[in-house]
Amino acid sequence: MIVLRQLVALIGKDLRLEWRRRARLLVVFVFGAMTLLLFSFALPETEMLVRASGGLLVLALLLSSTLGLAESFRVEHEDRALEGLFLLPVEPVAVFYSKAIANTLFLLALGPVLAPAALILYSVQVDPSAIADFALIWALAAAGLAAPGTLYSGMTSRMRGQDVLLPLLLFPLVGPLLLASVKSLNLVILGDAMDQLGSWRNLLIAFDVIYWSIGGVLYPFVCEEGS
Amino acid sequence: MSSSPDHPIVSTRGLGRRFGRSWALAHVDLDVERGDLVLLAGANGSGKTTLLRTIAGLIHRTTGALAVFGRDPNRARAFCRSRLCLVTHHGYLYDHLTALEMLELWNRLSPSPLPAPELMPLLERMGLAERADHEIRGFSAGMRKRLTLLRAELEKPELVLLDEPFSALDPDGQRFLERWIRSSREQGKTFVIASHALTRATSLGGRSVLLERGQIAWRGPSSQLLSRFQEAAT
Amino acid sequence: MKPLTWQHGLGILGFGLLVTGSVMGLTMAPPERHMGDVSRIAYIHVPTAWSMLLASTFAFGWALTSLWTGKERYDDLLAGSLEATVILSVLMLPSGMIWAKPTWGVWWDWDVRLTSSLVGLLLFAGILALRTFVDEPKRRATWTAVATIVAYVDIPLIYFGVRWWRSIHQVQSSPETVSGGMILPWRINAFAVLFITLWFIAMRSRIEAGRRQLEQAGEPERIAEAVA
Repeated sequence: MIVLRQLVALIGKDLRLEWRRRARLLVVFVFGAMTLLLFSFALPETEMLVRASGGLLVLALLLSSTLGLAESFRVEHEDRALEGLFLLPVEPVAVFYSKAIANTLFLLALGPVLAPAALILYSVQVDPSAIADFALIWALAAAGLAAPGTLYSGMTSRMRGQDVLLPLLLFPLVGPLLLASVKSLNLVILGDAMDQLGSWRNLLIAFDVIYWSIGGVLYPFVCEEGS
Repeated sequence: MSSSPDHPIVSTRGLGRRFGRSWALAHVDLDVERGDLVLLAGANGSGKTTLLRTIAGLIHRTTGALAVFGRDPNRARAFCRSRLCLVTHHGYLYDHLTALEMLELWNRLSPSPLPAPELMPLLERMGLAERADHEIRGFSAGMRKRLTLLRAELEKPELVLLDEPFSALDPDGQRFLERWIRSSREQGKTFVIASHALTRATSLGGRSVLLERGQIAWRGPSSQLLSRFQEAAT
Repeated sequence: MKPLTWQHGLGILGFGLLVTGSVMGLTMAPPERHMGDVSRIAYIHVPTAWSMLLASTFAFGWALTSLWTGKERYDDLLAGSLEATVILSVLMLPSGMIWAKPTWGVWWDWDVRLTSSLVGLLLFAGILALRTFVDEPKRRATWTAVATIVAYVDIPLIYFGVRWWRSIHQVQSSPETVSGGMILPWRINAFAVLFITLWFIAMRSRIEAGRRQLEQAGEPERIAEAVA
């Protein structure tokens, strides 16, 4: 199937470009770690930091994600490379899912950097058996940010005012995703006495499924001039 | 799967496109037959680029009728685009890929890819072989242009739309492009070319269309285009 | 003088009903058993909330239609509905806070409906901001429609997310849970706000259509073509 072949080729291209421009990635990682440090200034007591650590981690992910998402389409417009792809013709659906997958991988990669940093800075003790749950929630959160984030950065990347518009549109939209991932991370870190993790995880999954589906449906409308 | 030969490759009737308060194209009636070479001439802002982009389906028309290979390029996007190739002053290049990687990517994405070993000879023909493994960001404007022009080989189009193809190319590159256009025409390819390099472009033959503020002001054989300009100047 | 259009009729009817319903609510209806006279703000607060939900649903409907047909007049209606949604949320939030202060003792409680309304307000206000950044009318229409669909689908997720987040929430107010004398003014005001909203959307889309026509210019005259 041609869409699948195009999808694989485009993901390969995105990963190769990310790797060639890895200095840029480093900047985002440093930015994320810095936000974690700044949060600790707002909550002076270690006890508060431990209880808030899940939420602070998710906020660090969100703030770093806007940097990465805004960048992800910039390379496509520098020499109108994306227009060149659409003329081949590449299916817009393949472009959307390749970008969304590349962005998800990028946000996933923030996990191994930000999570240990938070554990050390906030003196959080986590049971090693909880790492699988932790990773799953991080992956669901990353995917949930990437789908609407890719759609909106695809729209705003050619616009003046992108830096303002992307967070303005994205932050309220991902509200439920943030609530669900903060709650579930806290349950993993602080213990899940009442067995609530399941329902939060379901909310995360629902968010991911909804936005990964409608993103693919709506992106073809916004990728070009518009009918 | 070739398009049927009984309708023109491109056919426009009363084609118009408005941007805000101004009309970039208006009342454009143009037929391009198979094997034609149509040269679009006109001042900056006369609508040449808009016309090419409209034919490629990148821009939607405001009024009028447009058929490319007998179909509406905004609806039958994949059908029309797999049969045409547009080269503009944008190179469509990723700066951080090498020339060969760029070509491989386009090839892999195209509906009918060439076998991988055929890509290096293409670069050789364009004089880019020894830079095949260099990242594109180090290329000169002329080298970028040559690489972009390879899309017209790779996509095997029936219709080639060229926007200012001679700009940025050195005399060698221009001669090469000229030869390539002539030999492609012998293979039955159709060309629509927008250019300011009138001496070189008119030497390709074919017919010319002069655009003025989005409308066709004159049409005739390319051989008469230059004298028409000299008349206007005196 | 211009004859009255049906839109104006709707507006006048709406304001008339609003005065009637509010006077009845303030003077004739009995005070609520637990909260007393404070709860009379519900006669305006609850109808506003209902109309906001309806207006956002209209926006969703116009967004789908606009995307499907590509016709500009649906974008006009969409813009009107989006603005109505934002204005009604802006009206609803303070009235909710005024109600919250004597009832819960604080201006803001992280109550599910209050919080999700705030998130919803930011969501839809963002779309209006997006519109101001796009000059090309077709593109503006497409992008507004896409953003509206994306935002509307989020509403139930926001609601459930916030609801599970803080489990303090009170029973939804509806005519079934309150005493008989309170129902009539409530219903009257519900229709009043609905009519005013519809009038607003109709007027707003007419203004939008007019502005769109001003932005456009007629096709120029055909020039004589010389043939060699």
